[in-house]
Amino acid sequence: MKSHTTWNRLGLILVAFFVLAAIFADYIAPHSPWERFEPYTKPSTKHWLGTNDIGNDILSELIHGSRASLIVGVGASAIATLLGLFIGLISGYFKGFVDELLMGITDIFLMIPRIPLLIILAAFLKSSFWIIMLALGLLWWTSTARVVRSRTLQVCEMDFVTSSKCLGFKNRHIILSDILPNIFPVALPKFMLTVATAMISEASLSFLGLGDPSMKSWGLMINFAFIKGGLINEMWWWYLPPGICIVLFVFSIVLLGFSFEEEKKVAIK
Amino acid sequence: MTLLEIQNLRVTFDTSLGKVKAVEDVSFKLMAGETLALVGETGSGKSTIAHSIMSILPTNAAVKGQILFRNQDLVQLNEKELSHIRGKEISLIMQNPSLALNPVFSIGHQITEPLVIHESLKKSRAIAQAKDLLKRLHFKGPGVAIKSYPFEMSGGMKQRILIGISVILNPKVIIADEPTKGLDSRLKGMVLEELKLVKKMENSSMLFISHDLHPAREISDRIAVLYAGEILECGLTVDFFKEPLHPYSKGLLESLPEKGFKPIPGTPPSMIHPPEGCKFHPRCPYKKKICSRKMPHFVKVQGRDVKCVLYS
Amino acid sequence: MAISKKKILRYLLALFIIFSLNFIIPRVMPGDPLTNLLGEEFSLSEAALQELRSELGLDSPLMLQYIEYWKNIVLFDLGYSYHFNQKVISLITSRMKWTLVLLLPSIIFGAILGTILGALSGWKKNALPNKTMTWTFLTIYSSPPYFLGIILLYIFSFKWGLFPFKGFYETGTLSDIIQHLFLPVLIMSAFSASRNYMIMRGSVLIEKEKLYVVYARAKGLYKDAILFRHIFKNAILPVLTLVALDFGFLFSGALFVEIVFSMNGMGTLIYEALLSRDYPVLQGCFLIITLMVVGANLFADVLNGIIDPRVRERQ
Repeated sequence: MKSHTTWNRLGLILVAFFVLAAIFADYIAPHSPWERFEPYTKPSTKHWLGTNDIGNDILSELIHGSRASLIVGVGASAIATLLGLFIGLISGYFKGFVDELLMGITDIFLMIPRIPLLIILAAFLKSSFWIIMLALGLLWWTSTARVVRSRTLQVCEMDFVTSSKCLGFKNRHIILSDILPNIFPVALPKFMLTVATAMISEASLSFLGLGDPSMKSWGLMINFAFIKGGLINEMWWWYLPPGICIVLFVFSIVLLGFSFEEEKKVAIK
Repeated sequence: MTLLEIQNLRVTFDTSLGKVKAVEDVSFKLMAGETLALVGETGSGKSTIAHSIMSILPTNAAVKGQILFRNQDLVQLNEKELSHIRGKEISLIMQNPSLALNPVFSIGHQITEPLVIHESLKKSRAIAQAKDLLKRLHFKGPGVAIKSYPFEMSGGMKQRILIGISVILNPKVIIADEPTKGLDSRLKGMVLEELKLVKKMENSSMLFISHDLHPAREISDRIAVLYAGEILECGLTVDFFKEPLHPYSKGLLESLPEKGFKPIPGTPPSMIHPPEGCKFHPRCPYKKKICSRKMPHFVKVQGRDVKCVLYS
Repeated sequence: MAISKKKILRYLLALFIIFSLNFIIPRVMPGDPLTNLLGEEFSLSEAALQELRSELGLDSPLMLQYIEYWKNIVLFDLGYSYHFNQKVISLITSRMKWTLVLLLPSIIFGAILGTILGALSGWKKNALPNKTMTWTFLTIYSSPPYFLGIILLYIFSFKWGLFPFKGFYETGTLSDIIQHLFLPVLIMSAFSASRNYMIMRGSVLIEKEKLYVVYARAKGLYKDAILFRHIFKNAILPVLTLVALDFGFLFSGALFVEIVFSMNGMGTLIYEALLSRDYPVLQGCFLIITLMVVGANLFADVLNGIIDPRVRERQ
């Protein structure tokens, strides 16, 4: 079963590529993405991917766009995963009424239509990537919570937990030192998959024009291409590259996430 | 008449920790109408032999040797040919009835499945046969049982259902893999009674696999002792329990509660790096220098086969 | 009953809470509450504004407003849209059917395609066609649905002119409608199928290792028969739950596809309402979508109860 290592390696390389692009965007990009040149130009030696409707160099936009996806994706997922971990652990460890209550809350959150709610929130508030990140994080913790809870329930049955309780360790200590390390193999792939979902959501919201205009994002690029006639005028160099980047970045994270899961399965065997 | 003959069976498993030599050069015959007990400690290779006969070993297993049934070598047959034999001519009563039954199908569905597959029986006739079988297996309400699901049944009931599924097509060979494991003495007795009954009904041969000597003694005509993947002694049950020949067999009998509960010193060997020569020699009270160098051959003593230097 | 009273209560509670959330949002958002409730497109004189304010009960205490809110919901009154000049509820009902026409076939195709292909792929993991399928579906899974839409739109509509790129199909023959729907349904089905594929494949991989599968083989079952007789029913259980939980996600995806293909459904409605900050429409859509998501979850629970006998027992 060596397939998971190929996935792992490929995912790692691609992710590293995008993360480096995001960090060193200022140095890699040929121009500042905000600098204005002649608009609507086709790809040329001066502008490898041409320019957009207000004259920004598309290639520079593209490279800087990785930042938005990375920050929002990872940030939102971090919030979501932390929240999910917390709720799942408490729910699975203390069981009983606390469990019922928290799971009830989880069920309700699961049924909230997320993108529509995000659209409403973004419509009311000014779009800033902090708000998007926070909102995404506060809505996407549910599946992590469920998974963490079921794993916590399993781990609690194990003898070393019972012996810790018999030794009189405080609950907080048991949760942090005995149970949490056993939750990681389950929480990590979930974290990666949540990053993937958050990225797609950010791209979707930006596509609707709800993204943070002060930050270059791939979704926003496609949005402008779409509404400023890039599609009709067949300017594939404008809307295709950002889309492909979204797909590749998400793909690589999904690969990593799945490869972690495969590894976990092999380890459990 | 020989029904099933195992010749020089060797099974190795390829694992991440190394090659596990689960079964080493095992040979025995199963005659028509007889019950042969295969006894040994956990990990001695008993279930592996059973699974080899059924050809349901996992993909990382390598099988060498011959398993002859009705003039066919089962090792050489392909999956399609094997599927005609499994369940119909040779059937297996698996260990762990809770996991062997599919949780989402009713008992009726699972009992009638062999009938539907092998004999293309119509569902209604199959159900009638299934109810009949359940009655013979002492189920008080066969009609209710047919509609129930595995999770609604107790461990003992599930065990009996497995027995039922395995015998419904009157197979020539029944392999019972640890059928009394984990059951209390009352259920143990009941299962043994069922097995005896079933054997009488169909006049089939049985391979009875167990780590527990008591049921093996009660139900078998002949007995073979397995240790670290090899048969060390094989012969008539009556003679065996009167006087075991191999040092390991002696140790086994002495470890029984009624004989003093004396444990055999030491632990079973690693199956990845087994000891040189006779596999039992590290724990044997009679060991000689030659035991650590050469593996003895089978010798016939008083009509029994024994693999020990003491008798050659 | 295939579903317990406790579960139904839970769903009703969820509806209650989410609907209440909808009440709270416009009232806690920054800005003039009147604008928040009516949208930014209306313009009336100061006197008329004052009248509207008291009519909407903005002067009365919050509790009374809350009761008024629920009264309106029960009467199916979701407010009025100044941008579209219509009652919100009639706006939504007229557009909803087009979204459903896109969504329902896609869910069905996606479910069938995804589960069967996923099962086969999990069963014969190393076969080349299955590996290719996995990579393909992974790619689809990673793409925002609107991007797929844009690409296909470009290739099939602009370049090759096979399909029209605007959704005018109210007046048209059946073949006309199918022509308009083909690409969007294709994309949504692929999107839905990719998710089902992943879960089903994983599920089959897990079930494959279980003892009842070995036992089925020992009973004389042969190859694919084992898969489809024994494994499928067990493996599909998580998929059912997923399809229901995913309904919200798929619905959102459908909205984007509608926008790309300029179709006449809820997606373009929300888009237009967004551009003109027509809050009543946005909120009305939110409520209706919530209703549908809860309904889908309920449906999945019922289905689960029918298929898995253990679930019935627990209830």
